[in-house]
Amino acid sequence: MSLYPQSQGYAQVGYAHAGPAYPPHQPPPQPSYYGVTQAMFYADPTHFRRDYTARLGQLTFNSRPHIQSLSMIAQDYTRYADIVVQCVEQHIRRAPPHTKLPAFYLLDAMSKNVFDPYARLFAPVVVRLFLDTYEVVDQATRHKMEEMLGTWRTGAPTGRQLFGVVAQQAIEREIWGGQSTQSVVRRLPVLSHRRPRSTRGKQNTSRPGQAPISTAQVLSELEFVLSSKERTLQVNPYDKQAATHVQILQQLRKVVQAGVPQDDLGQILTQLRTISPAAPTVAQAPPVVPISQPYPSSSSAAPYHYPTPVTLPSIPSASYPISPSYPPSNPVLPKAEPAEISSLTSVASAPVASTSTLPSVLPINVSSLFNKIMQTGVLSSSASSTPPGSRSATQREDSAAPSDTVELAKEYTNTVLTSAPKLTSVDILKHKPAVAQLLYSRLPGQCKQCGLRFPVDASGKKRLEEHLDMHFAQNRKASQANGRGYNRSWFVSIDDWLNDGIADPKGKRRAVGFKATVKGGAADEAAQRDAELRAMRVVVPPGDETKSFSCPICKEILKPEFNEDDEEWVWRNAVLKDERIYHATCHAEAMLSKTSLATRLKEETGRSRSQTPELLRSPARANLSLPGEPMKGGSPSPSKLVGSKRKVDAEGSVSSRDSPTPPMKKVALSAA
Amino acid sequence: MSERLAVPREWVLNAESEYRFELDPGTSVAIKLVRGQAEIFGAELVEGKTYFFYEECKAAIFTWQGCTIEITGQPSTEYISDETAMNAYGNIHLALEAMRIRALDRTKSNQPQGYGSDSQSSEPPRVLILGPENSGKTSLAKILLNYATRAAQDWCPMLVNVDPGEGASMLPGTISAAAIPAPLQTSTPAHRLGRAATTAPTHMTSNSLLPLAYWYGHAEVKRNPLLLDRLIRNLGENVWDRHEDDTQGRVSGVIIDTPSSFAANTGGNADHRQALIKACVDAFRINVILVVGHEKLNAEMQRTYAKHITVVKVPKSGGVVELDAPYRSRIHKYQMHSYFYGERFTLPPGMPSLTSAPAAAGYLVGGEQIMDFTLAPSSFVVPFGDLTMWRIGEETMAPSSALPIGATRVVSEMQPIQVDPSQAGSGLYNAVLALLASPNPDESERYDEEILDLHVVGFIVITNLDIPNKKMTVLAPTQTSLVGKTAIVGTFEWEE
Ligand SMILES: [Zn+2]
Ligand SMILES: [Zn+2]
Repeated sequence: MSLYPQSQGYAQVGYAHAGPAYPPHQPPPQPSYYGVTQAMFYADPTHFRRDYTARLGQLTFNSRPHIQSLSMIAQDYTRYADIVVQCVEQHIRRAPPHTKLPAFYLLDAMSKNVFDPYARLFAPVVVRLFLDTYEVVDQATRHKMEEMLGTWRTGAPTGRQLFGVVAQQAIEREIWGGQSTQSVVRRLPVLSHRRPRSTRGKQNTSRPGQAPISTAQVLSELEFVLSSKERTLQVNPYDKQAATHVQILQQLRKVVQAGVPQDDLGQILTQLRTISPAAPTVAQAPPVVPISQPYPSSSSAAPYHYPTPVTLPSIPSASYPISPSYPPSNPVLPKAEPAEISSLTSVASAPVASTSTLPSVLPINVSSLFNKIMQTGVLSSSASSTPPGSRSATQREDSAAPSDTVELAKEYTNTVLTSAPKLTSVDILKHKPAVAQLLYSRLPGQCKQCGLRFPVDASGKKRLEEHLDMHFAQNRKASQANGRGYNRSWFVSIDDWLNDGIADPKGKRRAVGFKATVKGGAADEAAQRDAELRAMRVVVPPGDETKSFSCPICKEILKPEFNEDDEEWVWRNAVLKDERIYHATCHAEAMLSKTSLATRLKEETGRSRSQTPELLRSPARANLSLPGEPMKGGSPSPSKLVGSKRKVDAEGSVSSRDSPTPPMKKVALSAA
Repeated sequence: MSERLAVPREWVLNAESEYRFELDPGTSVAIKLVRGQAEIFGAELVEGKTYFFYEECKAAIFTWQGCTIEITGQPSTEYISDETAMNAYGNIHLALEAMRIRALDRTKSNQPQGYGSDSQSSEPPRVLILGPENSGKTSLAKILLNYATRAAQDWCPMLVNVDPGEGASMLPGTISAAAIPAPLQTSTPAHRLGRAATTAPTHMTSNSLLPLAYWYGHAEVKRNPLLLDRLIRNLGENVWDRHEDDTQGRVSGVIIDTPSSFAANTGGNADHRQALIKACVDAFRINVILVVGHEKLNAEMQRTYAKHITVVKVPKSGGVVELDAPYRSRIHKYQMHSYFYGERFTLPPGMPSLTSAPAAAGYLVGGEQIMDFTLAPSSFVVPFGDLTMWRIGEETMAPSSALPIGATRVVSEMQPIQVDPSQAGSGLYNAVLALLASPNPDESERYDEEILDLHVVGFIVITNLDIPNKKMTVLAPTQTSLVGKTAIVGTFEWEE
């Protein structure tokens, strides 16, 4: 009897005992400069540092495999994360300008793929590092850096700023100018919503005190809009409108690159923001407004339009820069107002012939260029008598979708009930089913990791968020458990099986593609709890955004983040307990072993009794004190009923499991 | 296999067409959705991710809207076809979806549950899929389940497999039921209908299913139809029991995949075939029967059931391929291996290895990021007496000469017979055994055939018998004590 050694790699191991069905094989050939990674083993940090530095030194050009390999090592050796971060920073600083960019791509890859710890550790240094680098590199590299910066806006697993809003904003302000001080940042999203439509077009050119708009800024935004359009086109290669947009934007890019006066730059910027179906979203947001609304706020009166399906960013979505353009992992749920859609539509229906001549009349007044296109579009829209804003039926079907959850649900129900055929051998062959609409275009919010789709209403948004947190937790789990070895679980007992379906009466957890599994799935259970804890937040008392508080347990600094929905600063993964702010995860872990918490806190408490007065006034949320509560009774023993069928009614409490967490799970769920 | 480097090739699919491929043993392909939208047996592919297929996988990438895919590696067969049955399958999905919606509606309005003909229209779909060999029953089941999970309606349909030759999310020899909360992935024929849970974290719930299973012990239905009948009814009762308290699950419905022998009206099969279909219809309160590509069976089902049940003839997909016996036996090997050791495969030559590719490369194996499926089982030696082993309805293979003179072998089909490992010819060496749940702790509740009604908690293989020392070596998914446990042996063997 021989067992497979767990340490052997997945793809390197053949079926040692296998018959003819599994021929022996070689690992695929690999270029030697990065093929060595498999054999790596580091005895100590010094050794690791030396080796990693040496490998970085080889990163002299934009080599995808090399970047992948370095990123992989970083992922495997998160215990040396500090060293990795130091090495990379040092390397970027010392490297000659033309080799800095590949290292930045590495930094980007690590931070996106292994968000924790890398994004966290890079966050304090990334601003200076980016700006210093930006200063010394050539124009082409700057452009690539700007593209990368754009992807950072939504680079975190949650779809938020990869290095936090503060860092993002600091960089963008420096390179694109503008007046986005913190207060402005917090006010702007509001403005962009409440601004009367009539003044919209003049917003950027007429604001007094406005920093001059740079060509780079316009180009950068243009790239975002363009790439979003290109993406739309990729998703639906038959979308003629998107194709036309891409064409127009490419022409416009040439025009801008050739140089246009300041006035026109402003015009273009305005137009871009107008034309972009995703204008106020994260990825396409104007750079001076780094904080933006990833979702349409339901309070706004304007009806929302959801163009062709787009995908939401998710955890490891980085694509690698072999091609000159670094594809932003951007598109987010677009929102556009009717006026914008109509101009968009008229632009779209402009005959190609009339636009293709435009670059030849350089230099031109670009704003009139736009007007011309729009006019032509309107005039030529005789081809179809549909008014601007209503495109082909399938395209716009979902545009009528009300933002209200109930309405969305009703609409789905109606669509199904009216389009479902009678279940007979003849009827099922009669019509083409509306599958493409019901399973694809109706659900524009797609998880880029597993492909599950969600509606864009409030509940869909929340579920997608939970879903992404789940992936995040599972990724973390997987990276931490490396080498520990997994095994097939025993199948659940009949009682657990009978009650498995009602653990959550609404099936919410299952629907987001995740379910706590009994027994064998203890890991899952823990991961889920972890995800739930990480979703908890505490509102930062006004004025404290810049102060730093550290978690009493792990001593890490808690970094505030801006919550777009409520427009307030929050700490994520945080709980307020006894006027102290803790990581929710740290706190929960500590609560599992109260004695250990006591031990850990003894010295801390003894050292500083001083409370933060601001924290006392913090607007406490309902969920703040929950995670510890179920443990109040003492040890976290489950209320387990052995032997009997553990049925509970659907509205009742969670059925008890073999894992000691249900009470807590329930509370956390309802609080989320 | 030649080691030539595989160059990625692009295929452009028009709307409503599919790319079909079949793999040779030991090979794999990587498929990336470059642009557009596509699905595999109803599970959507994510643009830009690289999906791996291996272990003689035969599958099809279908697109409703048109797409471009990139293939790395060399399938033994590959082609594009627009002759699919997807329009019919999509319509069936819509019809089932309408049933779910009505059923949920009724639940909400608190109407009583009933089975009369007037309430028929608001019953959730409980679908029995019948069809001859190679008609694509399992694929249809998978598509219908996957579409339901993708509707964003929190459906969690129950997948029931009563084909003991298939294995569903566990191993052949079982019949099982599992709630399907997320799309079932496709990568290997070892897991056509999802994977049973491991201790590894997974991203797809369909890769950590919690099935309930009974051990039939044989691949062939005709071997012991009476036993299968009883197990089907056991399973049905439990599904019903579970759905009693689980509104969302009940409303989502049940989809049942069946063995092809249910459809084969040849020879002496007819009796047990009819009886087993009846067992399913009763046990799961079937209200929809889908007959895939079989005119005669459709007529028969119409005749027998159409009064109370919707019977629909469904076209067979053009992509269905013949699966011969040697193929099935290789799949069994993959399934056994995968149960204990997880999955491993060789990448198409020239691709960066799974271990050196970062997550950003977008590698997905059955929907999971790499390396999640490598498992470490346990092998240990136990005294014979630790484990009680049984065979159902079959005498051990003792030679006839060993029987008393004049004695004949008369064993009822349902009779449990204890197997003595110390006896030569016990048939235990390399045998696959189902480890059973504990019998009722209350002695007074026990009964003779209780063992037939105990569900499976896992599988073990006896890899060595040391008769002089009365010890045996057992391979189990993980270290465990077998003391006082019960196991049933069937006709499955496995040698690594
Ligand atoms: Zn996902
Ligand atoms: Zn902490």
